Amino acid sequence: MDDNLERELVAMVIDLCNVEDILPEDVPLDVPMIGPESPLGLDSLDALEVVVAVQRSYDVRIGGENSSREILQSFTTLADYIRLKQQEDA
Amino acid sequence: MKINFPHRQFAHCESGVTANLLNYHGFPCSEAMAFGIGGGLFFAYVPFVKINFLPLTTYRIGPGSIFAKATRRLGIKVIKKKFGSPESAENELDRLLEAGRPVGAQTGVFWLPFFPPAYRFHFNGHNLVVIGKEGSDYLISDPIFEETVRCPAADLRKARFAKGALAPKGRIYYIEKMPVHFNLPKAIESGIRDVCRVMLKVPLPLLGVRGIRLLARQLAKWPDRFGEKQSLLHLGHVIRMQEEIGTGGAGFRFIYAAFLQEAAGVLENDRLIDLSRRCTAVGDLWRDFALLASRVCKGRAVGQDSFDHLAALLSSCAVHEEALFEDLRSALVR
Repeated sequence: MDDNLERELVAMVIDLCNVEDILPEDVPLDVPMIGPESPLGLDSLDALEVVVAVQRSYDVRIGGENSSREILQSFTTLADYIRLKQQEDA
Repeated sequence: MKINFPHRQFAHCESGVTANLLNYHGFPCSEAMAFGIGGGLFFAYVPFVKINFLPLTTYRIGPGSIFAKATRRLGIKVIKKKFGSPESAENELDRLLEAGRPVGAQTGVFWLPFFPPAYRFHFNGHNLVVIGKEGSDYLISDPIFEETVRCPAADLRKARFAKGALAPKGRIYYIEKMPVHFNLPKAIESGIRDVCRVMLKVPLPLLGVRGIRLLARQLAKWPDRFGEKQSLLHLGHVIRMQEEIGTGGAGFRFIYAAFLQEAAGVLENDRLIDLSRRCTAVGDLWRDFALLASRVCKGRAVGQDSFDHLAALLSSCAVHEEALFEDLRSALVR
């Protein structure tokens, strides 16, 4: 996609979760976002911060009957989900 | 050997297992409907029961109850078994699979190798459906995964006999016989009344709305009682991975809201639609609490993000849940 949503999300998460010593453009988009394999070192408490920020910034709710595990797999899956929900609501 | 079992992915294991088993046996059912009929919504704060050395806080009823209550209310005959030894547990599972019967099982997440490392923690109340066996691997429909998964028999054995709180002791369950007719409206009403009762009327300070208020009172005292490090561990435990990462326990309120919306159609009761919206709003309040709590845990708190403020947010959750369930109870009286 050319809307740069993935990079926008990376920047948002780095800012929200106070991740230091890494530039947004250096973060791979298809690697795990949460857990020990996350290059940003995010855990389940950070995931909560991300979910609420996405709801507030993009008006897209995560949780309940949709699986946040799948949506928060990577920045790519998160961006795809936001685009999908925005299209459905348009 | 593999049973042709229609696997669907859901947010929560036991309500997902219940919905998938009901669907397999010819009763189309959403996760939300299984959760609602099973009276899944709950709150309990039990400081003297420890999970990972920290007090038990739960936003749902205990493992096994959703399946047991949902099937009972629908008039379905089920069989439940526990075992004294892993060998007898495995032999019985194999026998049932050979007979073509999908089998629900309670397991310990830590021992399931198909879970990513980030999610393998010591929780013994995880439910899944075993749907076949190929060589030394079991084939599993785990509703929190997108696809069916494989699990070596040795690992499933460890997961079924995990030690500690909520130890499964090889527990399995399966549907023996479906009724000819279902009374879905009656089952829904019974599930709603059950949740209203446990949230409002059980005369124990640990449970329901009283339990939320107890947690609020105790949480405000944690810094003085435990010191900073232990207080933060307790706080993180309250909100960490209750059902889905990223909801801090609010997800069960969102699932219940979806149930109320479905129930409104079945019962032809429009009041439930408004109550569904309010249930979502209560979920958002829980998530606000969890968000502030996570910021305190992470040292990102600013201004008023103190334990007193968190206690006030919890008290607000209690006020809103009390009003919600009072109104829900009265909505069924026609």
